[in-house]
Amino acid sequence: MFSRNSKEKGIESVLFVISTLTVAILFLICLFLFRDGLLLFKETSLLDFLTGKFWYPTSVNEQFGLVPLFLGSLLVTVGAILFSVPLGVASAIYISEIAHPKVADFLKPFIEILAGVPSVVYGFFGLVVLVPLMQETFNLPTGQTALTGSIMLGIMALPTIVTISEDAISSVPGTLRQGSLALGATRWQTIYKVIIPAAISGISAAVMLGVGRAIGETMVVLMVTGNAAIIPSFPGGFLDPVRTMTATIALEMGEVPQGSDHFHALFAVGSVLFIITFLVNLVADSIKKKYRFKVS
Amino acid sequence: MTESVQNVSQPQIEVENLNLWYGEKQALKNISMQIPKNSVTALIGPSGCGKSTFIRCLNRMNDLIKNCRIEGKVSIEGRDIYGQDVDVVELRKEVGMVFQKPNPFPMSIYDNVAYGPRIHGASKKDLDGIVEQALRSAAIWEETSDRLKSPALSLSGGQQQRLCIARTLAVKPRTILFDEPTSALDPISTSRIEDLIMNLKKDYTIVIVTHNMQQAARISDYTGFFLMGELIEFGQTRQIFHNPQEKSTEDYITGRFG
Repeated sequence: MFSRNSKEKGIESVLFVISTLTVAILFLICLFLFRDGLLLFKETSLLDFLTGKFWYPTSVNEQFGLVPLFLGSLLVTVGAILFSVPLGVASAIYISEIAHPKVADFLKPFIEILAGVPSVVYGFFGLVVLVPLMQETFNLPTGQTALTGSIMLGIMALPTIVTISEDAISSVPGTLRQGSLALGATRWQTIYKVIIPAAISGISAAVMLGVGRAIGETMVVLMVTGNAAIIPSFPGGFLDPVRTMTATIALEMGEVPQGSDHFHALFAVGSVLFIITFLVNLVADSIKKKYRFKVS
Repeated sequence: MTESVQNVSQPQIEVENLNLWYGEKQALKNISMQIPKNSVTALIGPSGCGKSTFIRCLNRMNDLIKNCRIEGKVSIEGRDIYGQDVDVVELRKEVGMVFQKPNPFPMSIYDNVAYGPRIHGASKKDLDGIVEQALRSAAIWEETSDRLKSPALSLSGGQQQRLCIARTLAVKPRTILFDEPTSALDPISTSRIEDLIMNLKKDYTIVIVTHNMQQAARISDYTGFFLMGELIEFGQTRQIFHNPQEKSTEDYITGRFG
């Protein structure tokens, strides 16, 4: 009796330690990220960092302004959302409401495989196929533009958006569908007046998670957006090269002397990125919780 | 056996030799029935006897089920509803349906009732009147008039079901099908819905599927007894319950099986 009890307790504590470990790791990542990031502000003021218009990390008169990088990330992400949300939600509607079950069963695994393709492969595809295409189509000096990055990130965010939206739409009870049809609504009226509103919080969560994925993505934007750290104009900036926060860290971290201002600046950029994705995930999570209540 | 029904002039619903298959399995066998106007007709029988399948033929909800094949003729107000030129949307406007489980849409009480009229093109200024009228007819106006904007899901189960009835009435059908409308409700809510159904028959032809024989006896004028996909007996409710012609009807009604 005693030994069985202690065995149970033992297993319990092992599992407890393992699950606590993930929290501890996250906490440590935060700690190191912020510790090195904050050291930047011994030299540069926080305000200068957040509102600085120039990112000249290696010039004699070095400047660490976040604005061009932040706007670069923002532009690419917004573009990706504009591209992937309509496409993703439409695919989700098609798969869950319109497609014959056999067609849906055929399509779904392919969309999930899309999520498993390594991002460098997407980047390679973008560089070889999309970049020349953009250059020719818009007659640009270079095809490495914010728009190119947006399209690639949009494609990468699609599986997340489709899969989660599809879950949300499929979990709308069939009785609502029948109730609407029995009132003489057409299938399309039923979809956009009853099903989509009923699934809207799940769809929003899907969009937020897609956003999270797009903001944090590094390799693809590094390969296809041209990496020019200048403040992009809007909306013309879509056809200019931009530099995102993630690409900046990836590009410069390898060559930066450890402990220099530049080194700390990159950590500060990382901290900003971390805070943004953390908030996006938090919002997605709270939307998802609200929606679980509604469906039950 | 249908003698007492036949002398009613023009039946609202006329079913002739209706057969239905789900894939290979035949769920309805050669059903013929005439349902008179402005009456309540109850369909009873044990689970899986085909009574719900039958009622879903009357507004073509079975169209949604794949592998479902139908033969025979169903006429409502003299029109063959499985005919070539029939618009299912129009049909369902005229033949409303209330389901087993209350299924209000996740929107406000007002929007639930306004949903049908809106999709059928009611003008904005008429909407308030239509909604109030429907809620009054469904005997739920008193409880909801001061909270029309609150979510329909905040209502109790019984209120939700009356809201679903109001939603159906708002489209102004002439026939209403009830598919076990009280099986998910408590006795008090059930009796309110029963009163409501009896009131509605002045203006509507009502067909109700029920598990509950007492309910059929209380509220219906005509009763049909289904067994294994066949209509065993159909006639005036009093006659079915007091003097059934078929042995199996009597066995079911006296509780020997089912």
